[in-house]
Amino acid sequence: MLQRLAALCVAIAFVVPVSLGIVGTLWQGSGMWNPFAASVVGSDVASGMASGMPSGATVTAPIKAALADPRFLPALSLTLFSGLLSTALVALLSVIVLVSSHGTRVWNWTLSTLAPLLAVPHAALAVGLLFLLAPGGWLTRLISPWASGWQRPPTAWTVPDADAWTLVVGLVVKELPFLLLAAAAQLPSLDVDGTLRIGRTLGYAPARCWSRLILPRLWPRLRLTFLIILAFNLSVVDMALLLGPGHPPTLSVLLLQFLADPDSRAVASAGALLLSALVAFGCLSVLLLERLLGLIARERRASGRRGMASRPARLAGQGVALSLLGIGLLSLAVLPIWTLAERWRFPDAWPSAWTLQNWTERLPRLAEPALNTLGFALATALLALVAGILWLEAERRRRVPKLDGLWYVPLLVPQIALLFGWQVAAVRWRLDGQWPTVLHAHWVYALPYVVLLLANAFRELDPRWSHAAATLGAGYWRTLWRVRLPLLSRPIAQAAAVAASVSVAQYLPTLLLGAGRHATLATELVAGQGGMDRRAISTLALLQAMLPLLAFALAIGWPAWRARRLRRAALVSPHALEGIA
Amino acid sequence: MIRLSVEDLTLRTPAGETLVSGLNLELSCGEVTVLMGPSGSGKSSVLGWLTGTLPAGFRASGRLTLDGRSLNSVPTERRRIGLMLQSDFLFPHMTVAENLLFGLCGGSRRERRERVAASLVDAGLDGLGPRDPGTLSGGQRARVSLLRTLLSDPAVLLLDEPFSRLDAARREQIRAFTWQRASALPVLLVTHDVADIPAGARVIEIGACGQARVPVGGSLLGAD
Repeated sequence: MLQRLAALCVAIAFVVPVSLGIVGTLWQGSGMWNPFAASVVGSDVASGMASGMPSGATVTAPIKAALADPRFLPALSLTLFSGLLSTALVALLSVIVLVSSHGTRVWNWTLSTLAPLLAVPHAALAVGLLFLLAPGGWLTRLISPWASGWQRPPTAWTVPDADAWTLVVGLVVKELPFLLLAAAAQLPSLDVDGTLRIGRTLGYAPARCWSRLILPRLWPRLRLTFLIILAFNLSVVDMALLLGPGHPPTLSVLLLQFLADPDSRAVASAGALLLSALVAFGCLSVLLLERLLGLIARERRASGRRGMASRPARLAGQGVALSLLGIGLLSLAVLPIWTLAERWRFPDAWPSAWTLQNWTERLPRLAEPALNTLGFALATALLALVAGILWLEAERRRRVPKLDGLWYVPLLVPQIALLFGWQVAAVRWRLDGQWPTVLHAHWVYALPYVVLLLANAFRELDPRWSHAAATLGAGYWRTLWRVRLPLLSRPIAQAAAVAASVSVAQYLPTLLLGAGRHATLATELVAGQGGMDRRAISTLALLQAMLPLLAFALAIGWPAWRARRLRRAALVSPHALEGIA
Repeated sequence: MIRLSVEDLTLRTPAGETLVSGLNLELSCGEVTVLMGPSGSGKSSVLGWLTGTLPAGFRASGRLTLDGRSLNSVPTERRRIGLMLQSDFLFPHMTVAENLLFGLCGGSRRERRERVAASLVDAGLDGLGPRDPGTLSGGQRARVSLLRTLLSDPAVLLLDEPFSRLDAARREQIRAFTWQRASALPVLLVTHDVADIPAGARVIEIGACGQARVPVGGSLLGAD
């Protein structure tokens, strides 16, 4: 009973802000509710809208106003370009990396570098990419002047560029690890080696075995991850602010600019609704494309054409894999170098003078956002873990239904569309700017990952462990605390690390619900880009990158350390185990 | 006529342990050769080497020729060595007929469909073409799997304990089906069950000591 109640509280704490946010955005976007215009401006029209008397004209008025804004269509086309191209590239490059590298050393390297790339927040990676790809960035410095002949930064390109190519690169480098790791998690259940063996002895080249035997079965397991990536790429804010063009910006950034003006809130929300419609349309198109490709693939499978193995193509694919990893890793590596640089003139590959001043002088100003970030991260990880475990335990004992689809909602709805409405509700009940409100938003975005990560581990844990404990006389809670949770310590530690890193990366929820009162590394980083110099921005970015990396190091290291300690104790004395366990 | 020959095969595990040394094999058309040995004796590794799918880290030396042509540096997919494993590996995203079409080599669209339909009828699996392989019985799956391998027109057939997962009642039936279907091909069977060995087969035993011995087939059967 108690457990069902607690699990229901978890669901309510999750569902209420999500639905309130979506409904709030819908209301604002249809011009039916504009608390800001009503209270701040107090115009007749706005209060008329607020009192809820929509005529046919007013419901669509904000949408018409959004469409009529001269910046809207250019922003929309930039969003379409960057979002669709980056998503298509993520899919294409994942396939290339998988087919060309799986089963080789390159694949092992790829897997070990993907985890840190996934853990690092978008903003920190984006800053690293700027430092790497800019005309005066590390890449050009590494090849100048000995190979390129450049004595001063080239002017052939700018970073960020007006056509959003930089944003595309950033999204690909950040989202490719997400899809590849999701694929790597699914591959063991498909018996790739056995399938390749059978396919090849039937005469098919390895690439054909992938396209006809493995990918068609892998895709259904990755479909949802891919749609999440598509939704993210179409609606990303922090990375678009850092890597995207400014005039016009991408759609989500433009809507955020609208939001800053109280009179344009309805237009901003209407735009957010249009963006959501765009995401929904994108998801539908993917599903239609899946059908079409499925039909073609079925026809081709029956054709019996065997294909030829191509070693150059395979090597080229591995080259693609390695260069993407290289870009990701270099953009992380450039951050600590800049934080320690005193003087770093253009064609030099390394700073000519090093200093700790960037850290010592800025420490007082860094401390507040860093501690705020850490506080949110720890609280989010703790609360998301407790909530996730409560829910999954209640689900296992059939106290609550299995609601896997529910957790995906905040990952598929554009952040902007959810948070515009949530912000309004928070303002209305005077909750905005408060620490628990911001924490709540972080929790809502971290919980889905925790539940989805822990779900498999919880469902697959052999129930006989609990039965064994029960026959020894242990009650439910004692069994949970002393048997089930310790057995699951590895996935639990990883879920905690993921929750912490999700919290560290949150920009928009902190900005919109924090009312500017809670400076975190993410908000400072995005706000400071453009204004601050490279040394200052690199310290923020490095700190933001280090927190999740630290969390993952702990999550991997702690269970391993614990296991080793147990083994060592067992070596010293067979009875020592009793004392520890 | 000898089609596939193995000369002086030596196999070592990544740990440096010798699994097989100095193994010689000659497979002729219409002849079944049986490779016997306890588990871990390297039988499956021999098949891995023959098909070119030995796991990374294994060391192998020896000559492999098909009709006098060296296969050592030919990739798996062009060796024309068909393989059947314990698990039937019918692809779950294809129907029975599509699995067979996937195996079948060459031919126009119509010819291919007709050949697959004919082979199903021939094998007593008439009407199962549009079915999901998951709905078939174990015996039916085994037959479809063998048909698929044979439709890919292999020059040699390797069988890796193909009957061990079948229940006892079906096993005898599928054995008979297999020997009848593969009667024109050189066949290498790997097993640890003496009941799998067909009449007139040549038996090669590889022991834990790693030495290949060629005992008299009859005495081995009699000893069981």
